[in-house]
Amino acid sequence: MAFDALFKPIEIGNLTIRNRVVSTAHAEVHATDGGMTTDRYVKYYAEKAKGGCGLCICGGSSPVSIDSPQAWWSSVNVSTDRIIPHFQNLADAVHEHGGKIMIQITHMGRRSRWDGFDWPTLLSPSGIREPVHRSTCKTIEEEEIWRVIDDFAQGARRVKEGGLDGIELSAVHQHLIDQFWSPRVNKREDQWGGSFENRMRFGMEVLKAVRAEVGDDFVVGMRICGDEFHPDGLTHDDMKQIAAYYDATGMIDFLGVVGSGCDTHNTLANVIPNMSYPPEPFLHLAAGIKEVVGVPVIHAQNIKDPNQAQRILEGGYVDLVGMTRAHIADPHFIAKIKMDQVDQIKQCVGANYCIDRQYQGLDVLCIQNAATSREYLGVPHIIDKSEGPRRRVVVVGGGPGGMEAARVSAERGHEVTLFEAAEQLGGQITLAAKAPQRDQIAGITRWYQLELARLGVDQRLGTRADEATIADLRPDIVILATGGQPFLSQVPEWGYSEDRGQSLVVSTWDVLSGAVEPGRNVLIYDTICEFAGVSAADYLADKGAAVEIVTDDIKPGAAVGGTTFPTYYRSLYEKEVIMSSDLALHKVYREGDSLVAVLENEYTGAQEERVVDQVVVENGVRPDETLYYALKQQSRNKGQIDLEALYAIQPQPCLSEDGDGFLLFRLGDCTAPRNTHAAIYDAIRLCKDF
Amino acid sequence: MLDTLLPILIFSALALAAVGAVRRVRLWRQGRSSPVPLIRGLAAMPRRYLVDLHHIVARDKTMSNTHVATAGGFVLAAVLAIVVHGLGLAEGVLGWLLLAASATMFAGSLFVARRRRNPPARLSKGPWMRLPKSLMAFSLGIFVVTLPAVGVLPAGGWLVALVLAAVVAWGLAELVFGMTWGGPMKHAFAGALHLAFHRRPERFSDKRGGEGRSTGLKALDLEDDQAPLGVETPADFTWNQLLGFDACVQCGRCEAACPAFAAGQPLNPKKLIQDMVVGMAGGSDARYAGSPYPGKPVGEHAGEPHGPIVARPSAQAQGRTALVDAETLWSCTTCRACVEECPMMIEHVDAIVDMRRFLTLEHGNTPNKGAEVLDNLIATDNPGGFDPGSRLNWAADLDLPLMADKREAEVLLWLGDGVFDMRNQRTLRALVKVLRAADVDFAVLGAEERDSGDVARRLGDEATFQSLARRNIATLAPYRFTHIVTCDPHSFHVLKNEYGELGGNYEVFHHSTYLHRLIEAGRLNLKAMKASSVTYHDPCYLGRYNGEYQAPREVLKALGVELKEMARSGYRSRCCGGGGGAPITDVPGKQRIPDMRMNDVRETGAELVAVGCPQCTAMLEGVVAEERAEVKDIAELVADALVENAAPGGAGNRPRRDTEEVAL
Repeated sequence: MAFDALFKPIEIGNLTIRNRVVSTAHAEVHATDGGMTTDRYVKYYAEKAKGGCGLCICGGSSPVSIDSPQAWWSSVNVSTDRIIPHFQNLADAVHEHGGKIMIQITHMGRRSRWDGFDWPTLLSPSGIREPVHRSTCKTIEEEEIWRVIDDFAQGARRVKEGGLDGIELSAVHQHLIDQFWSPRVNKREDQWGGSFENRMRFGMEVLKAVRAEVGDDFVVGMRICGDEFHPDGLTHDDMKQIAAYYDATGMIDFLGVVGSGCDTHNTLANVIPNMSYPPEPFLHLAAGIKEVVGVPVIHAQNIKDPNQAQRILEGGYVDLVGMTRAHIADPHFIAKIKMDQVDQIKQCVGANYCIDRQYQGLDVLCIQNAATSREYLGVPHIIDKSEGPRRRVVVVGGGPGGMEAARVSAERGHEVTLFEAAEQLGGQITLAAKAPQRDQIAGITRWYQLELARLGVDQRLGTRADEATIADLRPDIVILATGGQPFLSQVPEWGYSEDRGQSLVVSTWDVLSGAVEPGRNVLIYDTICEFAGVSAADYLADKGAAVEIVTDDIKPGAAVGGTTFPTYYRSLYEKEVIMSSDLALHKVYREGDSLVAVLENEYTGAQEERVVDQVVVENGVRPDETLYYALKQQSRNKGQIDLEALYAIQPQPCLSEDGDGFLLFRLGDCTAPRNTHAAIYDAIRLCKDF
Repeated sequence: MLDTLLPILIFSALALAAVGAVRRVRLWRQGRSSPVPLIRGLAAMPRRYLVDLHHIVARDKTMSNTHVATAGGFVLAAVLAIVVHGLGLAEGVLGWLLLAASATMFAGSLFVARRRRNPPARLSKGPWMRLPKSLMAFSLGIFVVTLPAVGVLPAGGWLVALVLAAVVAWGLAELVFGMTWGGPMKHAFAGALHLAFHRRPERFSDKRGGEGRSTGLKALDLEDDQAPLGVETPADFTWNQLLGFDACVQCGRCEAACPAFAAGQPLNPKKLIQDMVVGMAGGSDARYAGSPYPGKPVGEHAGEPHGPIVARPSAQAQGRTALVDAETLWSCTTCRACVEECPMMIEHVDAIVDMRRFLTLEHGNTPNKGAEVLDNLIATDNPGGFDPGSRLNWAADLDLPLMADKREAEVLLWLGDGVFDMRNQRTLRALVKVLRAADVDFAVLGAEERDSGDVARRLGDEATFQSLARRNIATLAPYRFTHIVTCDPHSFHVLKNEYGELGGNYEVFHHSTYLHRLIEAGRLNLKAMKASSVTYHDPCYLGRYNGEYQAPREVLKALGVELKEMARSGYRSRCCGGGGGAPITDVPGKQRIPDMRMNDVRETGAELVAVGCPQCTAMLEGVVAEERAEVKDIAELVADALVENAAPGGAGNRPRRDTEEVAL
């Protein structure tokens, strides 16, 4: 049987988990309502259970104490009995589908923010500041230690009373327990610091108190790090010693292992490895822990496809695989394996849109699956066939918005024609995938290619649709997702010309697509600070160019998320790319064979010049509206989308109105430049009722 | 002159027929002994002929009327001819009756002749082509020679008499002498005795309305050191099996029904029976005048009563053949379409399995994956070689009640080896959901369950079958349950019909039957299925083997489905190709059986084909690659149609905690 290692049930404590696949703890950032799990929260996990996930560990960093703030990431609040009935609803919803659900509980110590809500004083063993959150803290006192230990016990009781299946104590990501463990943070000389036993004491007392509270028949696990990757932090050998120490107590039922500490920007990027990492980069650390413990070991980190999971489990490296982002991308991951639809699994590409939103305190969403965490709104993961009339749907533009519109329309049972001017689908994803270490983003396109072929969408690649071609198809609905072009004409002084021979500047698209040869000495001006600028810089440097990337923003790549800018920086610094801030591109002019870029300091107005042979400008996208305005007046709805219906995930009223001619909608960057998720979300919420 | 000639002719024919009969009986008696109740068998024969056999023949009305006229006319005419012309008792009504009988026979023979004008491919030609002429010669000859006897015509001159005598002689030779010596009419003699001494007397209906079904394979006596393991030579068949082969009329209804033949695999049930007929007398198949085994020209195979049917491995290595090639035997899906169609009630499947038993048990020559599957069954009690402890892995989240814990339950849910197959796991989960919705008290054996033995037995491994069966019976023994329910027709058949001989007697239901009962009893609250055009594929082991055609259709009706029946449905359903270990032995043909079956589905225009067998699901869904109808098990359709709130203990009843007063 294929994937048999995945489908072998396992006992954790007294609990039987139906398969080896776990959605590990992460902050969902949608337990709003004062930390009480909402309908949204429950449906997000119910969907995973329905999709077959064996075990969900919810509530990443759910605080047990009021001085471990809950509100910044809308975490689940385990510090009050009010949570209990909410847990019961959550447990029932998951159990109904045969899944099991536990929650991670913690005190985050110094790893939070103090400048809001209750304005808490954060706690840490030795009062040492945490850099990622820029958080200062006090040195925890003995009384507070015992209070927090009791908070853990009370939190555990609430979880048990709420009917969840277990708890995971977070001793990872530099929370309070592992702050005590790590000599990097714990400088105490009392019984809570210094020697190994002393550093272990806080965690041990927490474990004892929790076990005493919940008894023997309730699952208590612990999530630990496999190696902090800091010269002054805990090494892999230290972690093996720690794991064996706690395992020997017989009080823990499982261990989750995460490679890398995360109290710096650079180590944080390891924790949720983006697409630049190899598959399962830290499996060896988890396997090392498994060597020294008797309880089942869970490991997540870049395990995304079923074959990979099967290989890891079959090899016996760990007992359960965490496939958390894999489930954010496709909560029906397991069900699709069981349905023999492995090719239909939407595979996580490691874009880290989810986690990068989370670190900004925004709800966790998937770059490519707009239904995830919108289950409560009725955005479907599985699109039902329409029972209404079969419509002829024409989609123009094969970028993410157009591909999603074509897919959803075809799933609804309509006759779909998709035009794409380029020879391949993907739109800007195709460009994004050209950068070094960014190739995996093309996985988004690959999934659509498979799905559109499976659904029998008529794909007209290399074909630019115009009024006549569209009219020939006598469509009922026309969707424009034609994207746009790099906006280089905004500042005339940049010297952009449509005639490439005349133009003084080129776009990041020109660079990444290979339309222009990489220069040898290149200035990139990036006012957007998202992926395109740093990608072009990395690409050019990779081709041997001397590159300076300049922005008028606070730093190059400033809008790239917290788990991804570090991997760009690693690459750019290594290739000696110069990163300059606070400089706007004022003007470009030609001097002999060279180009001179005039830069102006944002704050002083002082100008400086760079003499280079290529100037690349990243100024975002200008929508391509030509086709839209050509069709708008002929359309029944004049191209207008009913926003109330759209936002409420309801059918567009014009769909049920009679009339001649076609309905016209436009999506994605051809309306205004936003991002992949925005285009896909608009497409699914618009088309799901066609 | 005819007065002199006719008695001579008639009694010579009868005497020769007697000689022929002795010869034929001696051919049959080469077979192994098989005790039969002689008198009771003979006494039962007329009813078996007139009711059971006629029931099959009457599926083709024209043919049955033709046969009634021809055969009935002949039997009457023959008896009367002996009386009238043989004994010279032409007085009164007898002559007129003889005229009527021969006229009736003549009329029938005209229809026989008409059928022979453009005979369908399935009919054998050769000697059969002359049969209508012989029938006409006999009936016309007798008619004409009888006219003077009743005084309608004067007796003619000697020339006329000679001509008439010759015609009558021709008729007598074919119809009386030929009946026992050989030739088309052999079927009447052998057929009558075959009905009388059939190895499955329980196959026939009785006056009390017995079902008349006997489909379970007969057990080999493995304790008897002397008994050969299966059939190596024609003489290894029991004598009444050989008799049965001899009854074949070569009508080819089996050939037309055989899925392997249609797929171009080297099997033709008619040819196989004829090969056995050749084998019992010794000789080559060169004179066989029907369709060959696809891809195997006629005339290259020969055998003898005590020679191997399938060339021994050493001979095969030298490129020699015997009566039949092994791949012919391994092409059979054991679907019983041939047996179902056979008007002479011949048991093709028994014969094939007998021959397979020898190949597997004596030579270990089960082809392709066969040996591996049998090894797996021996080592792990399941054909896939999976860890037997993993039988319930698919149900880890269902908390299924175990018989080992409960000891008794109304229903023992037999899961079958589909537990190892992800597709079938969906069916099983659906079935569990439905049983729970109906509040059925059920339990499963879990890791205690073993393969039912079906595949081992059809692959000829009787020893492994019996080992599995005996151990399953021992496992079941301590538990108390009212009936067994299973979604696997193969397990169903084996548990119901083949465990009895080994001491396991249970009331077994296929899940469609059980679901139908639940629906009838009002224990399931169902909504109508979403509009979709549906057809139903009868699994062979449910339909032909066990006669259950109605229950699945009733269940579908309860879901509001109006079936679009396939041309081949019910007892004529075409096999999916998955039975009898055929996917394991995997003999290549020109096309694949499941593709043909999906074409049958396609012809109905149905978007969904409802099935009731894991094997059918696997074949229709897993093998057919091109665009096809959706395949769903009956259990899945019922589960989808459940109105959950109404189900006792259903999830819809879950109270939602009121969190409003505590929420911020």
